[in-house]
Amino acid sequence: MTSATPVSVAADAAARPSPRGPAATAPVPKGRRSARRRELGACGVLMTPFFVLLVTVFLIPVATAVRLSFFSDDQPGLGFGPERTVFAGLRNYSAVLADPTFLGGLGVVALYCVVYIPLMVTGALVLALLLDSGVVRLRGTVQLALFLPHAVPGIIAALIWLYLYTPGISPVIGLLGRADLTVDFLGVHMVLPSIVNIALWSNLGYNMVVFYAALQAVPHEVIEASVVDGAGPVRTALQVKAPLVRSSIVMVAMFTLIFALQLFTEPMLLSQSTPMINSRFSPSMYVYDAAFTRNNYGLAAAASVILLLCTIALSYGVTRWTNRAGAAEEAAR
Amino acid sequence: MPGRRSRRSVLATIAALPPAGALSACGGGGGDTRSGGTSSTGRTVSSGRSRKTRITFWSALRGSQEVVDAFNRGHDTIQVDFQQVPGGMQGGYAKLSNAARAGNAPDIATIEYPQVPGFAIDGVCRDITDLVGEGLRAGLLPQSLGLTTFEKRVFSVPLDIEPMVLHYRTDLFERYGLTVPRTWEDFEDAARTVRRRTGDRRMALFPTDGDTHLAAYAWQAGAQWFDTAGGAWNVSLADAPTRRVAAYWQRLTDQELVFMNAVESRHSDVQIGEGLVLSRLSGAWDAGAQMKARPGQKGQWALAPLPQWDPAAPAVGTHGGSTFAITKDSAHPEAAMEFIEWQVSHPDALRARLSSGASSQYPAAPGLVDVGRKAFDRAYYGGQDIYTLFEQEARKIRPGWVWGPRMTATGKIMRDGLARASGGRGSVLGAVRAAQEGTMPDLDALGLRTTQHST
Repeated sequence: MTSATPVSVAADAAARPSPRGPAATAPVPKGRRSARRRELGACGVLMTPFFVLLVTVFLIPVATAVRLSFFSDDQPGLGFGPERTVFAGLRNYSAVLADPTFLGGLGVVALYCVVYIPLMVTGALVLALLLDSGVVRLRGTVQLALFLPHAVPGIIAALIWLYLYTPGISPVIGLLGRADLTVDFLGVHMVLPSIVNIALWSNLGYNMVVFYAALQAVPHEVIEASVVDGAGPVRTALQVKAPLVRSSIVMVAMFTLIFALQLFTEPMLLSQSTPMINSRFSPSMYVYDAAFTRNNYGLAAAASVILLLCTIALSYGVTRWTNRAGAAEEAAR
Repeated sequence: MPGRRSRRSVLATIAALPPAGALSACGGGGGDTRSGGTSSTGRTVSSGRSRKTRITFWSALRGSQEVVDAFNRGHDTIQVDFQQVPGGMQGGYAKLSNAARAGNAPDIATIEYPQVPGFAIDGVCRDITDLVGEGLRAGLLPQSLGLTTFEKRVFSVPLDIEPMVLHYRTDLFERYGLTVPRTWEDFEDAARTVRRRTGDRRMALFPTDGDTHLAAYAWQAGAQWFDTAGGAWNVSLADAPTRRVAAYWQRLTDQELVFMNAVESRHSDVQIGEGLVLSRLSGAWDAGAQMKARPGQKGQWALAPLPQWDPAAPAVGTHGGSTFAITKDSAHPEAAMEFIEWQVSHPDALRARLSSGASSQYPAAPGLVDVGRKAFDRAYYGGQDIYTLFEQEARKIRPGWVWGPRMTATGKIMRDGLARASGGRGSVLGAVRAAQEGTMPDLDALGLRTTQHST
């Protein structure tokens, strides 16, 4: 899936066409031209479904949401007059940004990201390195066991954990209680860690597999060289293997970030059992509440566009930062 | 290799982006469905000789089927199709909103008082000012009709109005030498006595899910959470009377003179069932609900007027109560109005409703009070004539209260704050202030004119 030295491969790929460049301008034999046409045709056929989906399930809805966020069914004054749809400008946006409950939701998600992403990335990486080092026996079974939770739909996962978190029915709380430990997993301080725990349980195995696959691609010569140079297993893992799978670490971190920003299923389900999760706990829940409880579609659209922009900006920031850090590292080498 | 990876990551990134468009799929066509005017619900069918107008009616109220059956038996030209829907908060209101958006709302919907302005603003309720006849108007308690009238336009017709009263355990009051509190000061003293003398029992429950309770307390104390003076929604949830009420309950909960947990919960059932709580503060309807829920406590309860802040100028707020609205989609508003008028003012309608089981709802039409009084079995309350009490209390309902345009959401934020306060984070007043702060952006985004007082 990922190459060991992506930067150098990319450089090769970029360098390769240049000598071929002048050849392309020279007259091309007929056979080759039809081959190229076939290639283009195949390209079109294979990529059409992607673009059709992109347009219908992403671009059109996004455009509709953006349009919706600038309009409002307005009635002047008290609002009991006849409705008319008017251009509202940035009014919905200023209302969302002035809403303490929305800003509170952003704060919750920021905290969630700060706790969840490092735990997820380091946890998955450590597990993958352990599996790769050969310390673990029954590698296949362990891998499957770790991956299985990912096959459980998020809503089912939340239900399972809800059962384990609810005092009175949870065997875990019962056992802890016998040891004179009272933990309220749905209390004020524990509710966010409880959600992080559900997300970790669901996704750790999947990301572990991504890292494990990347580690498989690390050339044996490099590992052998490090062993010959006297590096122990821990040092090999941390200083040789981990840097070589840097690109997949970045990818996993970015996807985890994007999914984390949309935090919805777990708190939505847990909210039925604890008043500590309110109906506007995360930005996605705010959007849902605005549209379906408050019947305020313009507000909901504006909030989702803001969330989308935050996600794009953060993803872009992460990419830029890691590219620059990678380039600096490459230069240092 | 790198090329393939980047394309895949683009795909995955796009798949992972937030569901910005998810709601637009539902909202896209919402703007113009209402003006379409075609209704799938109201239609005229000719069967045999008579032409019948059929209207549809949605309600979550118990006994509605019996009322509809009684109406259909006595009327040839209008036939009502009844559909039981979930309670408002359990999905009934969402169902109504979505149906109105899709253009297939029923002719008549049941809406509780706090939600009337919201549905009126959203264009679900029809302006029925011209359909409400003089007779009906005169037959309703003015305070009740006042709650459904905005800018001199009527948007729904009240069925019942529920003054908040004090339900108390006569046996336990006697055992601990308590007298029925006339003022909130007396109530606090009694609560102190109960705490001191019993340990595990408490005078009452301050509900963490009690935004409507808190509203009733504030209403009684002279608060005005919303008003519509000057053509704007003037919001002041934390006005002086509310601050007074909040400080009072804060003191009682801080000193553990009352329980503080959800009232809609097993916990609260146990508290009432095992006699841990000596009194309940709720609407008149709760007397009937108590009879059904706990028949074993027969003879142990009585009703009294709500304690007052100033007995010289008594006032109460309401807690509960429903209204009937005709939707914009209705093709037969006149027929719908005929059914509503019959339902809220005809003795047969109330008798039919009560036939489905005991109810102590207090009709918004004072003319029906005698029907309710006769039908009500007094044995549970030791022969007490509770309807006479309700009648006195209903007259004390402070006029001029206005519910806000997004009361469900406002109440939700308030409940969240109260629940946190019970966990030791924040206060009663903090919950009220948070509710105001969380409500303003909503109203602004709806394009309403707003002002804020007493933040």
